[in-house]
Amino acid sequence: MSGRSRFTLRAVGREAQLLLVGIPVLLWTLIPIYHLVIFAISERDTATKGYLWPPSPTLQNFNIVLQQKHFFLNHFWVQLGNSLFIAIAAGAITLLVATLAAFSISRLKVRGGRTVMNLALFTYFIPAAFLAVPMYKTMATYGLLNSRWSLILAMVTIASPYCIWVLKQASDKLPWELDEAARIDGATPMQLFRLVYVPLMVPSLVAVGTYALLLAWNEYLYAYLLLSDERSFTLAVALGHFLSADDSPWELLMATGFIYALPPAAIYYAFKRYMVSGLTAGAVKS
Amino acid sequence: MAAVSFHDIRKAYGKVKVIHGLGFDIADGEFVVLVGPSGCGKSTLLRMLAGLEEISGGEIRIDGKVVNDLESKDRDIAMVFQSYALYPHMTVRENMAFSLRLRKADSKTTEDRVANAARILNLDPLLDRYPRELSGGQRQRVAMGRAIVRDPKVFLFDEPLSNLDAKLRVAMRAEIKALHQRLKTTTVYVTHDQIEAMTMADRIVVMHDGIIEQIGTPLELFDRPGNLFVAQFIGSPAMNVFAGTVRGGSVEALGARWPLPAAVAAVARDGQAVQYGIRPTDLQLAERGIPGQVVVVEPTGAETELLLQLGDSQLILVMHGRTTALPDETVHLALDAEKAHVFDGVSGQRLG
Repeated sequence: MSGRSRFTLRAVGREAQLLLVGIPVLLWTLIPIYHLVIFAISERDTATKGYLWPPSPTLQNFNIVLQQKHFFLNHFWVQLGNSLFIAIAAGAITLLVATLAAFSISRLKVRGGRTVMNLALFTYFIPAAFLAVPMYKTMATYGLLNSRWSLILAMVTIASPYCIWVLKQASDKLPWELDEAARIDGATPMQLFRLVYVPLMVPSLVAVGTYALLLAWNEYLYAYLLLSDERSFTLAVALGHFLSADDSPWELLMATGFIYALPPAAIYYAFKRYMVSGLTAGAVKS
Repeated sequence: MAAVSFHDIRKAYGKVKVIHGLGFDIADGEFVVLVGPSGCGKSTLLRMLAGLEEISGGEIRIDGKVVNDLESKDRDIAMVFQSYALYPHMTVRENMAFSLRLRKADSKTTEDRVANAARILNLDPLLDRYPRELSGGQRQRVAMGRAIVRDPKVFLFDEPLSNLDAKLRVAMRAEIKALHQRLKTTTVYVTHDQIEAMTMADRIVVMHDGIIEQIGTPLELFDRPGNLFVAQFIGSPAMNVFAGTVRGGSVEALGARWPLPAAVAAVARDGQAVQYGIRPTDLQLAERGIPGQVVVVEPTGAETELLLQLGDSQLILVMHGRTTALPDETVHLALDAEKAHVFDGVSGQRLG
């Protein structure tokens, strides 16, 4: 009996510890979202009054945003389109680059592959902010400034090393015999890649592709730097511009922000099964 | 179908040499087993034949053609791996058809060949399942099916039964042997299990530390092992071997005199140090003879195994039927001199 009660006591203690960590993390996550929602459904004059729940909730702000009926929102749909295009293109290109790189390094054992991977990882020693100006100069040299492709290429550069690393770790876990069996069966390296490697890597590919896509979707600094015309802004930069006025329309900013937060939430929800398995799959070498 | 020949094959990883120049021929349709302890180079040799390892020196021919520089896929071989190596995202049917799909075979041919292989291996009901839904034995059969569909010149097996439990291993052993008798495709089979080698092979190649110790049919190796290594490796339980000295036409060892076979008696020098070997099944209990003390009696039903203490050595005796001998009793051993194996004490080579 005593052993049983001690066990229960320990279980309660453990539960309490988890709650002690879990509750602050939950609040940390939820409070900003709560504020976002409160602002987004408030009328202009009550938004900053500090109500826990607005006296007369309204969807009017969303109406204004979607119909582009405000000075800051003149190009809302174009900017949303830019964000989508850049995020999807950056995700897709990163995925292509990283998958091929991981396949060559891990499965084809290309000479110097490890060095390439280490060099790529080494770029993370330099904070992205330090690279912003050189990146700006490079894009200027190639005449890409103010083009969506400048941001896409910059995001691919930043996302690729991590993606290569994660995919390489995941590839290393695929049994070697599969490659050997495929080689004996008559597969060329490209057939091996297409018919055996990619189908088996799908969970990791989804995780890594989503990571790159969301990284580009969320990017502010590089977008702000590389894109200067309102019509080529991403939504993130446009949101930043709301704060350039003295009397920022907070309720519209938050309504736009709410819309901006929907695609990532949808993606996480759709792929959550892969996200968990994929991100942990590359994490430890078992 | 094709003959395979190895000529002066060498393999080195950097400075570490693992295979030191070995050569032998495999006849068309022959079932050859490469056997040896782990690290002896048998798998490496097979993988060189498969084109999965580079050949550091020498020549491998398949059907008379040097294949050293040919890619695996151009050697017309099929391989069955220890871990099955089935493509997890493909059904049994797709796994078996994969090589034909890569060769762009038409769908009629593919269907026929897969159906044929499935019939031979009783895989028909499993064709639309995925590998994860199969048992170990079924997976191994699919791996063989994948090889059969190819209709290759040579089948390669790399320890295909090591992942199976003991009972299934015996069943699959018979199945592979039956398959070979049916298809008559040249087969090279690697294993560390000498029983697999003995039961399946037309000829066995015993390897050790990157060299060939002996090549022969299973019974040749069993009856006339060429050296101490083969003598102790082939046969279960292993041959009893102990050191002795030749004196006056017999061997003095373990405080007793052991008879020499006639052929050995003719060549052995008096005073020569030898290793004397006798298989457990060639020792008999007798009224008189060499005395030994019973340590353990292990009845297995049809046979009885006795562990005996002679001097500072322990010998195993296997007899048909049963015995009334009890532990700590003294029993007497008899043996037929011609059944003894005598090896040089220094070189370990067979005498006579």
